[in-house]
Parts: sequence; C-alpha cells; structure tokens
Amino acid sequence: MHLSMALLLSALLFGVGVYGVLARRNAIALLMAVELMLNAANLDLVAFDAWFKDTLHAGQVFALFVVVVAAAEVGVGLAIVLAVFRLRETVAVDELRQLADVDPVVRVDADS
Amino acid sequence: MTHAAWLLPALPALAAVLGLFAGTRVAGGPAVPALAGTGVAFVVSLLLLGAVEGSPATVHESAVAWTPIGGQTLHVGTRVDGLVAVVAVMVCVVALLVQVYSTAYMAGDPRYSVYAAEVSLFTAAMLLVVVASNLFELLVGWELMGLCSYLLVGHYWQTEGARAAAVKAFVTTRFGDAAFLIGIFVVGGHAGSFEIGDVVRSPGSHGAVLTAGAVLLLGGVIGKSAQFPLHVWLPDAMAGPTPISALIHAATMVAAGIFVVARLYPVFLAAPVALTVLGIIACITMLGAALVALAEDDLKRVLAWSTVSQLAYMAAGLAVRGWTAGIYHLLTHAAFKALLFLAAGSVLRTVGTNLMSEMGGLRRAMPVTFVTALVGAAALAGLPPFAGAFSKDGILDAAHERGGALGTAVYAVGLATVLVTAAYVTRMVVRTFLGDYRGNAQTRLHESPLVMTAPLVLLATAAVGLGLPVLPDGWGVARWLDAPLGTTELHVAAGGVALSTGLVLLAGAAVYALWRRNPAADPVAVLGRARRPLAAAFGVDAFYDRAIVRPLHALARGVLRVDDGGLDAAVEGSGATASGLGGGLRRLQNGNVQAYASGLVIAVLALVIGVSLAVAR
Amino acid sequence: MIAILLGLPALGALVLGLVPLPSRSARIVGTAFAAATFVVAVVVAARFDYGAGARMQDVVDDRWLPAVGVRFHLGVDGISLPLVLLTALLVVLCAATVADRLMMSVVLLLEVGMLGTFVALDLVLFFVFFEVVLIPMYVLIAVWGGPRRRPAATKFILFTLLGSGLMLVGFLVMYGATGTFDMTALARAHGRGVTAGTQLLAGTLMMVGFGVKSPMWPLHTWLPDAHTEAPTVGSVLLAGVLLKMGTYGFVRIVVPDLPSAAHDLAPALGCLAVAGILWACLACLALARGEHADLKRLIAFSSVGHMGFVLLGIATLTSVGIQGALIGNVAHGVITGLLFFLVGGVKDRFHTSDVTDLGGGLLAKLPALGGLLLVASIASLGLPGLAGFWGEMLALLGSYSPAAGLSRPLFVTLTGLAAAGTVLTAVYFLAMLRRVDFGVVTDRWRGERITDAAAVDLVAWTPLVVLAVGIGVWPGLVLRVSESAVRGLLG
Repeated sequence: MHLSMALLLSALLFGVGVYGVLARRNAIALLMAVELMLNAANLDLVAFDAWFKDTLHAGQVFALFVVVVAAAEVGVGLAIVLAVFRLRETVAVDELRQLADVDPVVRVDADS
Repeated sequence: MTHAAWLLPALPALAAVLGLFAGTRVAGGPAVPALAGTGVAFVVSLLLLGAVEGSPATVHESAVAWTPIGGQTLHVGTRVDGLVAVVAVMVCVVALLVQVYSTAYMAGDPRYSVYAAEVSLFTAAMLLVVVASNLFELLVGWELMGLCSYLLVGHYWQTEGARAAAVKAFVTTRFGDAAFLIGIFVVGGHAGSFEIGDVVRSPGSHGAVLTAGAVLLLGGVIGKSAQFPLHVWLPDAMAGPTPISALIHAATMVAAGIFVVARLYPVFLAAPVALTVLGIIACITMLGAALVALAEDDLKRVLAWSTVSQLAYMAAGLAVRGWTAGIYHLLTHAAFKALLFLAAGSVLRTVGTNLMSEMGGLRRAMPVTFVTALVGAAALAGLPPFAGAFSKDGILDAAHERGGALGTAVYAVGLATVLVTAAYVTRMVVRTFLGDYRGNAQTRLHESPLVMTAPLVLLATAAVGLGLPVLPDGWGVARWLDAPLGTTELHVAAGGVALSTGLVLLAGAAVYALWRRNPAADPVAVLGRARRPLAAAFGVDAFYDRAIVRPLHALARGVLRVDDGGLDAAVEGSGATASGLGGGLRRLQNGNVQAYASGLVIAVLALVIGVSLAVAR
Repeated sequence: MIAILLGLPALGALVLGLVPLPSRSARIVGTAFAAATFVVAVVVAARFDYGAGARMQDVVDDRWLPAVGVRFHLGVDGISLPLVLLTALLVVLCAATVADRLMMSVVLLLEVGMLGTFVALDLVLFFVFFEVVLIPMYVLIAVWGGPRRRPAATKFILFTLLGSGLMLVGFLVMYGATGTFDMTALARAHGRGVTAGTQLLAGTLMMVGFGVKSPMWPLHTWLPDAHTEAPTVGSVLLAGVLLKMGTYGFVRIVVPDLPSAAHDLAPALGCLAVAGILWACLACLALARGEHADLKRLIAFSSVGHMGFVLLGIATLTSVGIQGALIGNVAHGVITGLLFFLVGGVKDRFHTSDVTDLGGGLLAKLPALGGLLLVASIASLGLPGLAGFWGEMLALLGSYSPAAGLSRPLFVTLTGLAAAGTVLTAVYFLAMLRRVDFGVVTDRWRGERITDAAAVDLVAWTPLVVLAVGIGVWPGLVLRVSESAVRGLLG
C-alpha cells in the first residue's frame, strides 16, 4: 500500500473533523470531532513511520503521545461540558457567548 | 550743550516713575516731581535753543550702539538741529503750563498722581520723538505717546464715553502706525540704515520703492495727526480732561505727525507723489473739519474739529513745499490752540457743561478768560498782528508760489477755509462769552484761580509775540529754522494778508450780524437742513461702523465658530473615528467559538498555501 | 555644570515624590530645589563666553547607547542660554506658589524635561527630554485642573504625542541619510550628502511635529482647552516654556541641518504662521466681546498669535528674522507667563475667570492686580519700549527682506498681513481691558471684601515685569547673546 493512500484517508478524516468542529452545535459532538482530527494526525504519524522505518520509531512514539494527550483532553473537556450543562441547561456551543466584546456604555461623566 | 539733549526725554521719564511710585510721599504731593521734571527739561531746551541759534542748519548728533539686529547694529542717541530745538522748547513750555494748570483743574481728583505721572511720561515720549536720531527710537516715543494718550483720554474710565474714546484713539492711530512701521522698513532698507541722518542724506532718485515708503510713512502721520480718513478719533478724545486736550490733542502729539514729515523732508521731496497725496488729504480735511466745527454745540468738540482743520493747514503747507511756513504754523497753533483749550477748561470748570447752548454772557464773570480767549480766537481766525495770521498766510503764499494743480487747490481750499474758520470762531466767541447766560441760574459764575489764569495770559502773550518772527531778517524765523533745499522760504505778502484779513472780517461780521438778530439762538441755524450732515461729521463714523467694525466682529465670531466646530471638531473627530473603527473590529469578537475556529482554519490554510507557493517558485 | 542643572530638579522631584513631607515643608523644599537650579543656570550664564556664542559650551559628552550610536551629549550656546534662564526663572516663580507636595514633584520633573530639551545635543536625547515633558504636564492638567480637565489633558497628550512620533520618524530618516544623531555634527555638515528629497521628507515630518508643539495653525486646537483647564502653574509653564520647545526645534534642527528643506518649506511655514496670527486675533476678538468667555482661553489664543510671529521670523531664514524669533520666544515667555499668573490671581480671588461674571472695575476694586494686568496686556500687544515689540518688529523686518531664493512678493504680502495682525492684537486686548479692568464694579462684587495682590504675589510677579520692561528697553540682553550663534546657523 502506498503512503499516499494512508495520507489521503488521514486528510479525509481530518476534513470531516474540521467540519465537525466548525459546524456541530452540540459540544460533545464537537469534542468527538476533535478526537477525529487527533486520530487523523495519529494515522499520519503511523503511516510515515511505516514508510520511513527509522530507528527511533519517532512516528509511533509520537502517536502514543497524542493518544495520551487526547484522552486527558477529552476527560477535561467533558468535565467542562458537564459543568456548563449544569449551569446553563444547554450544550449548544453557539448559545455560549459570554466572551463576546460588547460596546461600552458611554458615560457622559467627564471624570472617567 | 547739545550732548545733553538726552536729558530732554530722560528727566520727565524719571519724574513719571518717581511720581507714580513715591508721589504721595513727597512733600507737596505728586505735582512736585512732575513740575520739577518738566521744569528742568524746559531749562535744558532753552539752553539747547541758545546753542543752535545762528547756525540752525548744523546738526549735532551723538549716539551709542544699542542692539544688534541681524545684519546691522541699531544706535540710540540724539540728533539736534534748529527744528528740534524750537519744537522741544514748544513742547516743554506747553507741558509745563499744562502741569501748572492741572494742579488746580484736577484738584480733588483721587487719581491725580497717576495723571501727573502719565503726563510726565507723555512729555518724555514726545521729546524722545523730537530728539531721536534713529527711526526705531522715534517709533518707541511715537507709540509711547499713543499709550499715554489712551491712558489719559480714558482717565475718567468709569464712564462709557471715556472708555470708548480711549480705545478708538489707540486703535485708529495703531492702524496708521502699522503702515508707519512698514514705511520705516522700506525707507530704512532703501537707505541701508535706520539712522535719520543716513535716511535724509541724498535719498536718491524718485524710485517707486522710496515713494511707497514715503506713502506708508504718511499712514502713520495721518493717524497721529488726525487727518482724513483717520481723523475720527480726535473729536471723541475730548472725553479726556481738558488740560490733556490742550497738551496732547492740540499742541504736541497731533503735531508729531507734521514734525516727522518735516524731519524726514528730503525723503518726501524725492517722492513727490507722497506730497501730492498729503496735499489732497489736507485739502479734504481742512475744509471738511472746518464745516463740521461750524455745526458742533459742544465747545471742546468745536476746538477738536478746529485742530483737525489747522493740522491740515500745516500738512498742506508741507505738501506745497512751504516747509518753514508749515513749521511756523505748528508753533503758532500750539500757542493759540493750547490757549483756547485751557480757556475752555476754565469755562467748563465754572459752568459745569460742555454745551455752548447752556453758556453765554461769561465775559462779565470771567474777564481774564474772556480776553485771553479772544486773543486765541483772533489768532485762530487769522487776524493780524496775531501769530496765526502770518503763519496761515505764509502757507497760502507758498501754495500760490507752488502753482500747478496742487498749489492752486491748496490755495483755493485754504482761502475757503479761512472764511469758514472765521465763521465758527466768531460763533464760538459770541455763544460762549457774549449775550446773556443761558444756563442754570444756580451756578456761581466766577473767574478761575491764578494758577489757571496765569498760563492763559502767558499763552496769549505767545500768541501775539509769535507774530514778530515774521519780521524781516535778523528777527526772522530763519534764525532758528533752516529750510531744506527745494523748499520755499517763509514769505508773507501784504496783498495776501489783506485778502485773508478781508475774508476773516467778512465772515466774522456776517456771523455777528446773524447772532445779533437773535442772541439766544445758534447763528448756524440759518443753514437749516444743511446743518444735519455737518453735525453728523458727514457720516464718516457711521460708515466705518457699518463697513469695518461690524463685519470685523462678525468675522471674528465666525472664526471662533469654525475653530470650535471645524478644526477642533476634526481633532475630536479623529478620536471618534478611532473609537468607531474599534467598535467595528470589536464585532468580530462575537463570543462564538466556532467563528474563531473558522478564522483560525482559514488563516492557517492561507499561510500554508502561500508558503508552499512561495517555496515552489 | 549642565549635569547639575538637570540633576538637581530630578533629585528634588524624587525626594518630594517619595518622602511624605507635610505641605509647608514640601513648598519650602521644592522652592529651594528650584531656586538652586536657577542659581546653577545663572552660574552657567556667568561662565558663558559671550564672545564665542556660536560654540557649544559647558559640554557633557559621554557614552550612552553605543549600539545605536547615541551619545549623552549636552551643551549650551547663544541660542539655548536665554531659554534655559527663562525656564529656570519661571519654574522658581511657579514653585513659590505651589502648595501640594506631589504637584511640586511633578513641576520639578517637568523642569528636568524642559531644561533637558534646550541643552540636548543628540537627536535621540532631545526626543527623550521632549517626551519627558508630556506625562508631568498631563498629570498636572488631569489631576489639578478645571472642570473639563480630562478631555483637555487627553487631547493635549495624544496630539503632541502624535507630533513627536512624526518628529522621531523625521529624525530616523535623517539618521538613515547621515549616519549620525549628533546635532553639532549635523549642523556642521549643513545638509551635505543628504539629497533634497530626503531633506524634504525629514523636514516635513519635523515641521508637523514641531508645528503641533509651537503651535502652528491649524494644529493649534489642543492649546485653548489645555490652557483653560490647567492650573495656574500648568498654564504658566505650558505657555512660558513648552511652546518654546517647538520653535526651538525648528531653529536648532531644521534650519541648520536641512537647509534645502528649510528653503522649500519656508513659504508654507510663513503662510501658516500668518494664518495663525490672523486666526488667533479674530478668535480673541470674538472671545473678548462674547458672552461668558474664559479669560484664560483668550490668553491661550493670543499665544497662538504670538507664536505665529515667531514662526514667521523663522520662515524668513534670515539673521534678522531668526533673532526676532528668539527674542519673541523669550518675551512671550515672560509676558504671557505674567498674564497667566495674574489671571490665576484673579481666579483665586473671584473663583471665576469668566469675563461676564467678573464684570468690570478690576482697576478700582484691586488696583495693584488691575494695574499689573494693564501693564501685562500693553506689553503683550507689542508696544514699542516693552519686550513684545522686538519679536514682532524683527520678524516683520525679516519678512520684508527674506533670504535669497524665497519669493519676495509672497513675504512682503505676509509682512502686510502680519502688520494688520498687530492692529487686531491691540483691538482685542483693549476690548478685554475695557470689559475687565475699566468700568464700574458690578453689584455682585461690590460688597465683597477681596484682598489685592499681597507682597508674596508681587515678589513672584515683579521679576517678570522688570524683564518685560528691561528686554524692551535693552533688547541686546537677548540679541547680543544669540547673534553669533544665529549667524552660524545659517551657514
């Protein structure tokens, strides 16, 4: 199997993941899409390692790194989503806009 | 002796400073330093006159380096010749008499010490103009006089009239002074130096530059000497105390313009256009002012308009190259006009009003004032042997000799003015002193104290005595005045004297006869409707108000509005624009994480593609 | 000596800023530091070799930032010496009236910046001191100012900061072309090796930068608000010294280092200067006659007019004109400083500086204060015999015959217009005096007991009056000092 086929599959998976991150409303679906992107990267790493077969097997090592980090990240992410759900009764990402910058209320008081 | 000419401005200046700061602490009050300063200056001026006698053409100059200005060094010093000595004596005499007179006239005024100091400072400034050797030195004295005039006209500053008059005087003359300053630049630049000596030494051919400079200098002369069109300040300046009117607005400051023309005469001779301009203005002013004097009811204003008219005579004399005649008239005018003003002050102090319609019959109650005023009036009208006759006739003679359009015009207008002058002088005398008293019966009519009448008598003597110098040779004016080359000598023909005397008697008799018909009424009423434009001074003031003052104020308001609303609004607008832009950009932070992520993805894609393309090339 | 001149006020500012002294001691300590600085300035003046006014004296030249080619280079010559003395004098007189410890500290810090600007001989060092002045002045206005102080202070600092930024870019352009920041070297080079285009670019940037500070029309709009809202001390130093920094920059940097740019920009500068004169006169006239105009605003606008004369003098690029600019600077500092002190005194006593609220009759109610206001106004309108005349007259004389290569008809026209400006100046000052000084005291103030100028006030104001008369009678006091230096400037 040629390297390019694995890369193609990885790219497709990554693309699906990006779509999921940008377009899914449900926060958990978003996290799942992030997982998809991470695993696409993993696939890339492993494919390159299989193709180049270097002594340190850096690709496989880094793939394990990514797996661990992804697991940790999902754990934290789901905890946050749970906390948000408890507070706001919703997990729709586009309804969580507290970080928005609003126009300041213009105070006529010149001492400000 | 001529080396001590610097004392002339220095002494009264010192007296002014002393009087202002220590006046009340000196025994005898603030009058002492004022009288002392002016008195000693008077003695010095007499000594100076003695020193130049016999050789009036010799110039005695002494100067010290004053300040570097760019390329050259300005000097300050004195330049004394016959003209300077004679005028200096005149200034000191009048100033001293006015100071003496003021001790009684201004007695009881709470700000007398300030007044006396200002008069001393004024005297110093005028003497500085007279003895200056450098054009900028002259300018300092010139403008200082303007300042003192402003302060003194506005002496009664609690009244609106005095405040307005003071501002008007300063601003009108300042307008002329702006032209004067540029004239100094032009003339000094042309001569390569600002020393008066260098400026008058062969000014070269009739160049356009020199003519422009001379005309610009005339701007200042017109302002200071109250000629048309800058004459409007002088009648209003009568709001000041009467001794001031006598000193500043009759004898000295207004004569300074004439003096400067005489001083720098070679420049004007080399620019005949300037002399023509001066002549035309003099003609207009001469007759116009005399006509207005005919219609005025306020005694001081009659004298003010009369001064404007007489100054025009002097200017006309200089314009037709009658240099000696013009200066001679300056001297005689100083004597009789100061006399008339001080006499008027004496009358005003007694009756408490300026209006002639409330006077009359004062000759019985105030005999000394009456006689001296009569002498002054005769001199003003031009009756021989009083001084004014010969000086006026000298000017008319010079005009006649000059010939041409200008000479004829001056001659004709001059004669016409003689008629009108005699008319208003007679009217003034009959309405003030003859007939019956028309004022408040309660007023106690009495003669003024000796301190006031003595100067009157002295000036009356001068008004007669100054007629003598026209006698031939050894006693002549030529003893002290050296006419520059190209001017006519003082020459008084019997025919001319007879003609003007005839005109004076004619006009005087006519007015007297009109008055006799109805002693209580104003003889000028016979003019009927023609009186109104005269009384309104031909509407010049109203014209200035509409054409200059009001548009200027509107422009000023407009400028302020544009500054606040336009320029400043642009600055504040830049701030608003910055905030607006920020607000626009802020809209990108909409809190939607997916929007941020989209942006991130697009940017990364763009970078990657961009870099790959760049690397591939 | 120069190092002490800068170090003393810096030390004073530090001491007063950190040590919690009571208000009375703070006043004494602060005034002592300011007085000591003045004494040092006088010593510098006494040691100055007046015969060699063109040469930099009392020079300090140390390594500072070798990596960027910047040296710590200070010195005085005939042009900066009068300004140094003026600054030190005004700060001493101000310090005597300041009662607040922090305000005194801010004033001393301001002094460091002002003195530093006049003695700096390295472009970056000049820029540093130029900027050092901004924050203390902002604090002075924003903390101790009038009711609308915040917007005024913000406008002041942002506008002048913009100007300084552009000026810095100009400096960097010059550095790029010549390779040195040293002002004496640049003056000696007199633009050699820098193309006309580069000179014009650098010159234009600097013209805008210095123009904001001068202030040059139409970049002047920060001035009236800043002056109106600033406390008395702030106004005096702002008008008396800060404005001079802009015109000083023109004379010290643009004229000698960029001669071709100076020639190219001179007509524009002259026109803008005269526009400023006339604009300011008309605005002042409207204020003097208007309803509820602030006296301080009127005097602020009159500063725009006076600095217009200074800029006109510089634009002529002649010895006469630049001498006029320098003496005009000093005279304006003295006279307008005095005016602001007097108006500050009026404001302290009446709690208003509004022309309508004050009514008239100041001369009757408070003779000393009213009399001084009269004298200061007469001096400000340029009466010959007082200091203000020389700056105006020499600028006009220079404009009448400008440097070779400049359009004579244009400059003669400008002379005429500026002369008209002198007439208008008289009009508005007299209108102001008529409303405030003369007339009858209004009912509102008639019964009130208001104290006239006390001995303390007179001690602070008399030196300025004496200088106004002294410089008017002996302009050589300033002109003799700067003469050779100015001639050297023009190469």
